[in-house]
Amino acid sequence: MGQKTPRIYSVELNGAKDMKQTDKGDGKDKYRGLQDNCLELRKNQRQEHLTKEIDLDDHKLSNKELETKYHTNIVTGLSSTQAAELLARDGPNALSPPKETPEIIKFLKQMVGGFSILLWAGAILCWIAYGIQYSSDKSSSLDNVYLGTVLALVVILTGIFAYYQEAKSTNIMASFSKMIPQQALVIRDSEKKIIPAEQLVVGDIVEIKGGDQIPADIRLLFAQGCKVDNSSLTGESEPQSRSCEFTHDDPLETKNIGFYSTTCLEGTATGMVINTGDRTIIGQIASLASGVGNEKTPIAIEIKHFVHIVAGVAISIGVLFFIIAVSMKYRVLDSIIFLIGIIVANVPEGLLATVTVTLSLTAKRMAKKNCLVKNLEAVETLGSTSIICSDKTGTLTQNRMTVAHLWFDNQIFMADTSEDQLKQTFDQSSGTWASLSKIIALCNRAEFRPGQERVPIMKRVVVGDASETALLKFSEVVLGDVMEIRKRNHKVAEIPFNSTNKFQLSIHKTDDPIDKRFLMVMKGAPEKVLEKCSTIMVNGQEQPLNNSTAEAFYTAYMELGGLGERVLGFCHLYLPADEFPETYSFDVDAMNFPMSDLCFVGLLSMIDPPRSTVPDAITKCRSAGIKVIMVTGDHPITAKAIAKSVGIISANSETVEDIAKRLNVAVEQVNKQDAKAAVVTGMELKDMSEDQLDEVLTSYPEIVFARTSPQQKLIIVEGCQRQDAVVAVTGDGVNDSPALKKADIGIAMGIAGSDAAKNAADMVLLDDNFASIVTGVEEGRLIFDNLKKTIAYTLTKNIAELCPFLIYIIVGVPLPLGTITILFIDLGTDIVPSIALAYEKAESDIMNRKPRHKKNDRLVNKPLAVYSYLHIGIMQSLGAFLVYFTVYAQEGFRPSTLINLRVEWEKDSVNNLEDSYGQEWTRYQRKYLEWTGYTAFFIGIMVQQIADLIIRKTRRNSIFQQGLFRNKVIWVGIASQIIIALILSYGLGSITALNFTMLRPQYWFVAVPHAILIWVYDEVRKLFIRLYPGSWWDKNMYY
Amino acid sequence: MAALQEKKSCSQRMEEFQRYCWNPDTGQMLGRTLSRWVWISLYYVAFYVVMTGLFALCIYSLMCTLDPYTPDYQDQLKSPGVTLRPDVYGDEGLDISYNISDNGTWTDLVHTLHDFLEGYSPAAQEDNINCTSDKVFIQESFRAPNHTKFSCKFTTDMLQNCSGLEDPNFGFEEGKPCFIIKMNRIVRFLPSNRTAPRVDCAFLDQHHKDVQPLQVEYYPPNGTFSLHYFPYYGKKAQPHYSNPLVAAKLLNVPRNTEVVIVCKILAEHVTYDNPHDPFEGKVEFKLKIHK
Repeated sequence: MGQKTPRIYSVELNGAKDMKQTDKGDGKDKYRGLQDNCLELRKNQRQEHLTKEIDLDDHKLSNKELETKYHTNIVTGLSSTQAAELLARDGPNALSPPKETPEIIKFLKQMVGGFSILLWAGAILCWIAYGIQYSSDKSSSLDNVYLGTVLALVVILTGIFAYYQEAKSTNIMASFSKMIPQQALVIRDSEKKIIPAEQLVVGDIVEIKGGDQIPADIRLLFAQGCKVDNSSLTGESEPQSRSCEFTHDDPLETKNIGFYSTTCLEGTATGMVINTGDRTIIGQIASLASGVGNEKTPIAIEIKHFVHIVAGVAISIGVLFFIIAVSMKYRVLDSIIFLIGIIVANVPEGLLATVTVTLSLTAKRMAKKNCLVKNLEAVETLGSTSIICSDKTGTLTQNRMTVAHLWFDNQIFMADTSEDQLKQTFDQSSGTWASLSKIIALCNRAEFRPGQERVPIMKRVVVGDASETALLKFSEVVLGDVMEIRKRNHKVAEIPFNSTNKFQLSIHKTDDPIDKRFLMVMKGAPEKVLEKCSTIMVNGQEQPLNNSTAEAFYTAYMELGGLGERVLGFCHLYLPADEFPETYSFDVDAMNFPMSDLCFVGLLSMIDPPRSTVPDAITKCRSAGIKVIMVTGDHPITAKAIAKSVGIISANSETVEDIAKRLNVAVEQVNKQDAKAAVVTGMELKDMSEDQLDEVLTSYPEIVFARTSPQQKLIIVEGCQRQDAVVAVTGDGVNDSPALKKADIGIAMGIAGSDAAKNAADMVLLDDNFASIVTGVEEGRLIFDNLKKTIAYTLTKNIAELCPFLIYIIVGVPLPLGTITILFIDLGTDIVPSIALAYEKAESDIMNRKPRHKKNDRLVNKPLAVYSYLHIGIMQSLGAFLVYFTVYAQEGFRPSTLINLRVEWEKDSVNNLEDSYGQEWTRYQRKYLEWTGYTAFFIGIMVQQIADLIIRKTRRNSIFQQGLFRNKVIWVGIASQIIIALILSYGLGSITALNFTMLRPQYWFVAVPHAILIWVYDEVRKLFIRLYPGSWWDKNMYY
Repeated sequence: MAALQEKKSCSQRMEEFQRYCWNPDTGQMLGRTLSRWVWISLYYVAFYVVMTGLFALCIYSLMCTLDPYTPDYQDQLKSPGVTLRPDVYGDEGLDISYNISDNGTWTDLVHTLHDFLEGYSPAAQEDNINCTSDKVFIQESFRAPNHTKFSCKFTTDMLQNCSGLEDPNFGFEEGKPCFIIKMNRIVRFLPSNRTAPRVDCAFLDQHHKDVQPLQVEYYPPNGTFSLHYFPYYGKKAQPHYSNPLVAAKLLNVPRNTEVVIVCKILAEHVTYDNPHDPFEGKVEFKLKIHK
């Protein structure tokens, strides 16, 4: 299996080429064409990289040739000067990090993104307005300069804030991926030296041992029992043995090359460095991944959409009123100032910062649940995910072999495969079990690392391969101290497992003091083991092996094999004491002991069992409308078995092959519509055209891709994306990184994942657990809902901020709300409440609805904008105007007097303006009253924003269903609103530049009836939505 | 992250927009059928009618709570503003300059004064009563006709030399101009309890130390506003009320130099030291008389 994967790897490239050609054939769709270009580009790169691979012929060279090629000496190594020269020539042996956008560009991007442009325009208009004023009148007031500066400051501050937030989340990642510098043991100047791996150069002779990461691409010169884990390169999780022999033309398959960043699992080896840094195979793939550009996240698109809506409204109202103002004979300068006011009123200055905070709060919450989000916006992407392409090993499974079934006494027993198996509950009374357990314990070379007595058995570190580890832990659980048993049954001879004889054998003295016979125990491939047996043990008694028992064996073997499990056979033989006396010396090379007529004891099967939380998580995904596709490099049978056991293939669905088997007809005759599930292998996938893949993806709800290479993942992801799905992809290997980048959200494994994968991913699962993705999805959906609420909350008051300007221009009342005051609402009182909405709990089970359709379910949709602007916004404006009119009326200006008062009111030369009572006002007295009006309007909005905040807690349910007090943060928000307003009015009321005055306490309550009205109106809206789902009301009023 | 946005060509967008404006398949205009539009419009009409009604109701009840004679609060009107006639504003406040020898430069100023004093002609003051008392004129009840209160007469002749009757040029011609100082009306405001408020004009500060102090002739004598003009009971109670005036004839204004003159109201309850409000309790003006 291990040797096949690289073949898929190389063949797949041709497959991709075919695909490209079919595309060229129709080539009508522009978009596809565009994508093809970049695909082609990547393919060319890949092609190039392949050619380079073929050029690599170091594996074919002899040691002597290598020495000459790299001017080195195998015994003495390079000299330090040589090494230094080469280091200077080739650069350090490290992957060049992905190209980072310079910080200043990132910062500037924040300065011009979103609403910033609009506000800059406002600020510049302010300065232009001042310039015009100044040129005609040298003593004109600096108000416009201040306003412009304030607007610029707002942009800069929110920009700095957003930049800081982004930098913070990047830093988390940076600290996360920072690793302890790698060391390498190198021979230079005939001395063994430990140097940082970065300083390795070609021609260096390095020594590696079990546990080391291979520091560069090396050609092995000497190896002893060396096994490497190439999974990060090929996706193949089986350890592969390495030796110094040249075994294959393909450098990826030959045994005498070790690849950079793969790990040496056991044994030792010496090798010569043949490639360093970016020139290594891994380096080439990593640079391939960085070629796949990052594109916009769904939430970024939603926010852009929202910014467009708001900016559109702002600009169109602004221009409309500019024209109205000019045609009403206002001076152009005044009209410009109105325009600025309208822009400022329309732009929710604080919103983007709020969104950032909200997202980072969720990111923090997710990090607690083991989802580390690198890119803040990815938080929401996860929520809109409609397809998850998941790895099997480690993500869905526990990533360790575990004994799943046993067969002895003609019976299959089930073993406990959960994460923390404390005891095995199957029947252990049979004599056969006693023998079997002894074989399991003795015929095993794996050992616990010492000093772990207090660690739970399942968590102990074991030296040995996966199967042996599983057996060791299994027997430790069942029998107790295995090491002690092995000590008592002293091993006298041993043949380790190898792939030719496919068995492992050892001979022991028994712990039975009376019985002086040696015990020979053997395990191995069941059919090989059975060949060597003539008897079988049933209920502790040896019985001759006849056809019926052999058939029973094969049935059990097939059954267990059909479950996708790795089956081992066990047999033993007590060597007769007369032929093999205690002093007999066994020779494993001469095989001076019997190798036939053994006694077959039983079968044992192992599997990498699913994590216990996964089936639940898959069910949740299913009810949440998310399709889970398994993509694995494993054998189809194993993949299918795991898929079935975790529910990716549900219990009652069948594949085409299943149906064919059940009906006993050929696969071709089965109606494909009957099958719900499909298992597609990499080989099949390779031959599929794009259309065929699309058909597979659309027609089967349950799909497993088995035997796929990591490169094919990219094809699968692209296929899913063609279905308009938001695709999440998990991956850990370096080769997964293109797929991770291509996916809408790439999820790397925190434990098993390679750095390249983590770099390419948007999210890192710290516990490698699939179930964590589901929690992430839940959080992502919640944040989408809550952002809707936040935006609805924020948009509402824009109307209440805008109306004063419009009324001021058209009706000519003194300005009800100043521009600076608007900024105090947007960036003061409203900030904490809008963040508080992020803490709102879900209204209903968000995991029971379909993922949002990225083109139809927008963050800001028409009903949201219309309801916020034209319903609540208008109500709020009326309430605020009531406060404004009350203040003016009680101070002497009745509403009727105010109309068309603007020109006189604003004239500096009028210092005896008459009010409704005949009193005369100086300009400053009026100005002060105007500020009081601002404060009143501000308080009016603030009071009604409290009601707005409360109604925005839910979109469908009644507030009383949701609970007024469940979200405590909302109350913090309300308190903050009130406190900020109090401070502004009473604390800073004396600072004239802020345009706040001390407002009489009773004016704080004028808008309260309107606030209650808003609440009642919204409750009625929600009631009708609940009563008449799907009705006209629901369609127009539900956002 | 993957591409979520498809690039649309301009013609596609136009087509989509056209379809949005009028969709022949469903009969929808701008996303709604005609009947849907009618329904939604009806809803909005009803909604806004109700909202406007509620707002009108609120304003109506607000008006009901207001006292027709006295405003509820006079937070900003603690001390009256003071205005000057003639009032010509420059870049920074009142700025009056004229040339004695060029009467075109001051006829406008004189006109302003004449126009202003029109309201104080005996004919205009006909409905007011003659007051002689030196005390404040408290009226608790509405004794005057039409349920109003009496207002005291202030006629131009009280300004004597500055009335424009004897000298229609208000002294502008000979470089001793009259300026009329008026205190703003504030309902129920009493400048002082016993002594009448007095106008005091002087050069503003230092840079005229070498110059002798400003000599002013005030009309009425002493430059007082008689207390019987106070308090003012508001437009409804005293429809014919006219502010008392003080004229200040400046006698020794230096020629060809700009001087700043400040006229303060000296009274117990009038303050003139508000740093923000240059017109509270005082009036400042620049004066430049060319020769």
